[in-house]
Amino acid sequence: MRPRTLVTVALGAVSLTIVTACGSGSTPPLPSAAPQATAAEPAAATAPPLPGCSDNNKTSVESFAPGGTLATLAADSATIRKIKRRGRLIVGVSADNLLFGYRNPLTGKLEGFDIDMAKAVAASIFGTATGHVEYVVENFAQRIPDLLAGRVDIVADIMTINCARWGQIDFSTEYYHAGQQVLVRKDAPFADIKQMKGLTVCTAQGSTGSENVKRFPQVKAIQVPDISDCMVRFQEGAVDGIFSDDTVLRGFAEQDPYAKLLPRKLTNEPYGLGMPERDPTFVRYVNALLAQMRNDGAWASIYRKWLGNPPSPPPAVYGRALP
Amino acid sequence: MSTIAPSSSPPVAATRPASTRGLMARAVRAALAGTPGRLRLATAVSVVACLLFGVLSFVAATSRAAALSDAQTNTSQLVRIQSIRTNLVYADANLTNAFLVGGLEPAAARRAYEQGIGAASQGLAESAANPADAVVLAKVNAVVSRYTGLVETARSNNRLGYPLGAAYLRQATDLLRSDALPPLESLGRTEQERVNHAFDRSATATIWLTIGIVVALIVLIGVQIWLGAWTHRVFNPPLVAATVIVVIVSVVLSSVMVWSQSRARHTRDGAYFLTLELTTTRTDAFDAKSDESLTLINRGNGQVYEAAFQDLAANARVLLADAARRGGADAQAARQAFAAYRATHRQIRAEDDRGSWDQAVKQATGSSAADSNAVFGQFDTASAQALDQQVRRLHEDLRSARAPLTGLAWMALVLGVVAAGAAGAGVMRRLREYR
Repeated sequence: MRPRTLVTVALGAVSLTIVTACGSGSTPPLPSAAPQATAAEPAAATAPPLPGCSDNNKTSVESFAPGGTLATLAADSATIRKIKRRGRLIVGVSADNLLFGYRNPLTGKLEGFDIDMAKAVAASIFGTATGHVEYVVENFAQRIPDLLAGRVDIVADIMTINCARWGQIDFSTEYYHAGQQVLVRKDAPFADIKQMKGLTVCTAQGSTGSENVKRFPQVKAIQVPDISDCMVRFQEGAVDGIFSDDTVLRGFAEQDPYAKLLPRKLTNEPYGLGMPERDPTFVRYVNALLAQMRNDGAWASIYRKWLGNPPSPPPAVYGRALP
Repeated sequence: MSTIAPSSSPPVAATRPASTRGLMARAVRAALAGTPGRLRLATAVSVVACLLFGVLSFVAATSRAAALSDAQTNTSQLVRIQSIRTNLVYADANLTNAFLVGGLEPAAARRAYEQGIGAASQGLAESAANPADAVVLAKVNAVVSRYTGLVETARSNNRLGYPLGAAYLRQATDLLRSDALPPLESLGRTEQERVNHAFDRSATATIWLTIGIVVALIVLIGVQIWLGAWTHRVFNPPLVAATVIVVIVSVVLSSVMVWSQSRARHTRDGAYFLTLELTTTRTDAFDAKSDESLTLINRGNGQVYEAAFQDLAANARVLLADAARRGGADAQAARQAFAAYRATHRQIRAEDDRGSWDQAVKQATGSSAADSNAVFGQFDTASAQALDQQVRRLHEDLRSARAPLTGLAWMALVLGVVAAGAAGAGVMRRLREYR
């Protein structure tokens, strides 16, 4: 009898393990038990927005003034000292946003606008980015938790600067100005989201899109873990549209000739590099670097590499008081 | 007219059964009245006891033979279902690896994926022959079709250089894990219950034989004692012959039944137990290998998969250690191969944790003998051999345990009838003397 009991126990443990592996799958970008879309829920667990900050004016994109040279700031920042000791910068990025942060299927390497921004930060700390960047691939909902847990030093993942997020993390100055739009089928008979009555629109968990879509109660919004899951559903015909940043949607449209973007820009999405709150000097260092990149053409050349003719870069807005 | 018939029939129906029953009762009472009656009763009881002995012996032997045959069939089905699961996980792990490398997928990884899916489909077709499992397996088959569809979309996107391919791959892997593997797991558990039930049925079959022997001997000996006391003759040759037949059949059949049961118990605790250990080990190990790839493809956010790897690998290690202790050289080789694979996995994790993701991927997907695939391949071969050996042993043991049972069952039935004839003749002889 004893041996049989052992195997029963062992098999029980196996099924338990499998359940555990699947059950906790909502955290990584490859969730095994939570691939199902969930209906949009009221505001997820976010901290209260920062007092004196409004998403309707410049106060939301205000960051800390550098107030020093790269060299002095690097010497003062505990985070940069830690990064140097470690020998590499750990960056949270996305792997499925064509042109911003994506894994090139032909080479297996991560590429894009955001990846180049991360490399620029590493290169300024180490002299060269080669061998000094470690990527952590995240979905949108993991960006803030990964920062808070210290799993990454910085997030370069088309992250919108807003007051709610300022309550949890710090941002650099704006480095790209995006806006949200809706992607639909090329033959769709409507010109604006307001005409999509009762139709299903997909957003990603933990994205600003999942909040902003609530301004359009005429559509039925669903949420999935990864924004590219929206595109899979769209191609399968399970959803009628995707509500997200134009940067993401243009990448999708480029991979699907039967998709187009509805013309109206529905929101403003200023992108910033996200950092933990504990070291404002690190934020000031990154702002000093961004100021330099705006001036010496480094920003423009990254823009040209991925998106074509560069406009003038979004201006830096300083004035946020140091904590 | 039809209204009259029902109203007129009740009195007839009421009187006739009563009178028939009365007549029969009277006839039985008359037949059993006095000494001839008691002799007739003794005849009937001994004949019935001998026939019962024959029938119960037959039932005991044939039901054990059937139970052991069921244990064989269900073990085969269990192994088949577990191997479908293993093949699917194997195919998926190779696919994930191919995507990890980037560029055109390595031909070897593609071949391995196709082999895994091919073997799983074949296994599904073979297992579906068992009607009890056909419905679940048809559903699994449909999920596998959808899975391969998603995989092909992923590949087309990949070939075009579209990162969307990765999203399709993720969908495919999720679908497999959420919709195909759980039904196979629960089917595996059902199959295990069926095997256990079959072994239990084989054990309880002895009860019928015991009842048959006890009843027949009590009746035959009782009738002879009664007859002897009444006729003042010690032996009644035909009755003695019937008793001897019953005793001989009992001794022969009991010893064969005891032997076959000990053989079955030996198989249940030996080859069957090892079969379970090895199939579970293989399932765990393949899941762990796939978690290794998933940890890497989730680049920096794969902690849950590494945790799952550790649980699965620890479980597999314990089972393999036990299997190696019981199961001989093949299981021992599987155990060593798994230890080597764990060492390779530790190197991969060390590389990735040090920040050298590229190096980790190279070792996880490379084709040199020291890389993860080759090292795991050795475990695959060794454990498959060990499993195969146990399954073969199980079939041989159970086949030999049930081989003599069917023949003996018929012999017992025929001899039961012969004994019944002898017993009847013996008592009837006294009855004729009485007349």
